[in-house]
Amino acid sequence: MATDTLVTISLGKEKQAAMDRFLAKGFPTNKWEEWKYASLKSLNDVDWNWNTSEAPAATPLLAIETALHVQTLNGKFSVHSALPQGIEILEFDAFAQQNPNFIAGWIHRNPILEQNSLYDLNEALTSSHQVIWVKAGTILDRPILHQYVADVSIASAIQSKVLIYLEKGASLTWVDDLSTLSSSESILSNYVQEIWVEEAAQLTFVKTQDFALKTTHIDHTFIFQQGNSQVDMFTFSINGGFVRNNLHFYVDGENVLSNLNGLYVPGNNEFIDSHTVVDHRKPNCESNELYKGVLLGNSTGVFNGKIFVRPDAQKTNAFQSCKNVLASDKATMNTKPQLEIWADDVKCSHGTTTGQLSDEALFYMRSRGISEEAAKTLLMLAFVQQVIDKVEIPELRDSISNRVVAKIQQALGV
Amino acid sequence: MLSIKNLHARIGEKEILRGINLEVKAGEVHAIMGPNGSGKSTLASVLAGREHYEVTDGSVDFLGKDLLDLAPEARAAEGVFLAFQYPVEIPGVSTTNFMKSAVNEIRKYRGEEALDAVQFLKMFKEKMAYVNIDQSLLSRSLNEGFSGGEKKRNEIFQMAVLNPKLAILDETDSGLDIDALRIVAEGVNKLKSPDNATIVVTHYQRLLDYIVPDFVHVLYKGRIVKSGTKELALELEEKGYDWIISALVD
Ligand SMILES: Nc1ncnc2c1ncn2[C@@H]1O[C@H](COP(=O)(O)OP(=O)(O)O)[C@@H](O)[C@H]1O
Ligand SMILES: [Mg+2]
Repeated sequence: MATDTLVTISLGKEKQAAMDRFLAKGFPTNKWEEWKYASLKSLNDVDWNWNTSEAPAATPLLAIETALHVQTLNGKFSVHSALPQGIEILEFDAFAQQNPNFIAGWIHRNPILEQNSLYDLNEALTSSHQVIWVKAGTILDRPILHQYVADVSIASAIQSKVLIYLEKGASLTWVDDLSTLSSSESILSNYVQEIWVEEAAQLTFVKTQDFALKTTHIDHTFIFQQGNSQVDMFTFSINGGFVRNNLHFYVDGENVLSNLNGLYVPGNNEFIDSHTVVDHRKPNCESNELYKGVLLGNSTGVFNGKIFVRPDAQKTNAFQSCKNVLASDKATMNTKPQLEIWADDVKCSHGTTTGQLSDEALFYMRSRGISEEAAKTLLMLAFVQQVIDKVEIPELRDSISNRVVAKIQQALGV
Repeated sequence: MLSIKNLHARIGEKEILRGINLEVKAGEVHAIMGPNGSGKSTLASVLAGREHYEVTDGSVDFLGKDLLDLAPEARAAEGVFLAFQYPVEIPGVSTTNFMKSAVNEIRKYRGEEALDAVQFLKMFKEKMAYVNIDQSLLSRSLNEGFSGGEKKRNEIFQMAVLNPKLAILDETDSGLDIDALRIVAEGVNKLKSPDNATIVVTHYQRLLDYIVPDFVHVLYKGRIVKSGTKELALELEEKGYDWIISALVD
């Protein structure tokens, strides 16, 4: 088994403990409740290089104006422009020494981690744990671009971990541009982000995922929100053989707004799985979740959206919607909304739909001279545009839109 | 221009059109009237190519082509236009984008060059005047949240843009107040020419005060049971359909 070689790696005490946790559980299989549609058992058959020293081929930067450009290349983090005022980037250990109070809270963060052995694997093996520290009141008017690229010549498992810490009143747009290049080699891309949004801070987070067919990408994005803060999260899953997104929001203060937007367009032989959690722990908060999917070819999609409203979280407004279009009769979508509500004075709603394009709409369009393929394309683009249009950076919006459009058009043969 | 012979169509087990015969020549306006459920919309949909009706017998010749053999988009490109009784909402697609796609696809079918943005702007502006529609409506998602009148005016705007040889108007008057009705009817009249023909489907004679038909046909249980001139519509208005129906020997 591929994991046999992990036993021989020598680690410090804490990392070894994480490794032991991983080894006890192994890779998730579909016998696990949270992985019902998504077994990773096959990862056991790959002879992974657990610590690559290769560097990816140069890849063009997303053409947007930025305040700062940072990179993670095959798991190695680096900073590529001068740090703007109010931003510090440092190793986690150094950050911990300077911020004992934060760490005192952080170690009790207790995210919902059952059935997530890959988080432990990441903790055991990641070589750099970086902190992006946005100081109190710092307002960046341009985004920080994080370019994440993996590209290897032998099968490699790549770990990386970032902590983003927004102090009180800080405001940031973070663009997470993720891709893998290797088309012939397997990549396990295991990526953890912990994001701490303090009192009255604001974060817009746009994640784009553009992975190769042989890539397995596991994304753990855990967001902790304090009072009066706002987070607008976007996850665009454009390509990838196997993509699992664990996106968790822990709402730990009052008057918090959490917006979760997602769009996935898996194509032939691709699998994209969105597991989201919104954990309302305090009163007077609102969350809005809008996920959309276009499932092309023989692809499979999964949406599992959990909303917890804890006993203290009175006057919570929590809304969830997941809409899917099956663009082919070989595509499959599995949806499972899960609402667990312990408070009585709340407004919650959820709805999931999965269907084909409307026959009536297609006939209406064709009766005006638009061919069937063109009509389908127009309808699908209109369907996905609702999510894309919420991105406020025009160049980024165009880049996402172009890639999504190209993928749909290619699948429909137009 | 249009020659329908012994047309039979059904949906599932239910036969809805049971032998329609109709000849329409260029320059003519035909009204098709009849009580609810008689098959008027079905006839209109079958002519436009709606696939869920199965044609079981008969033929439709349109300008020398077998219409039933063509896909809906090809029928549009050949010059058939259906103004829907219930225009469909298309979220996220504006009328302008919709019409740009339609016009350029039809031009492609006919081997003509695509129009550019400037040419579209000019053309739309000219056609908007036909039905007194304004730009803000055309920029919104097609039919989404439109009032009944806005939907019908939008249909006629689309008709003006596509400039069909045969226009079929299915209950274009329903849900319109008298002012909206007049605007829509005037739009249709301005588009009339000796080279094109119009089939007006309605179950009120009201619209026919504005769009004056050359011929009036009564459709009942999937057949044309009576044909006449515009006076027939007035008679129907006055006496209802019962006198025709009771005279029928089934
Ligand atoms: N999709 C359908 N499924 C079943 N029956 C239908 C369908 N469409 C129309 N019909 C039936 O066909 C008949 C004719 O309908 P329609 O053509 O809409 O009539 P009209 O337009 O004259 O009111 C009606 O009895 C109607 O119920
Ligand atoms: Mg009707």
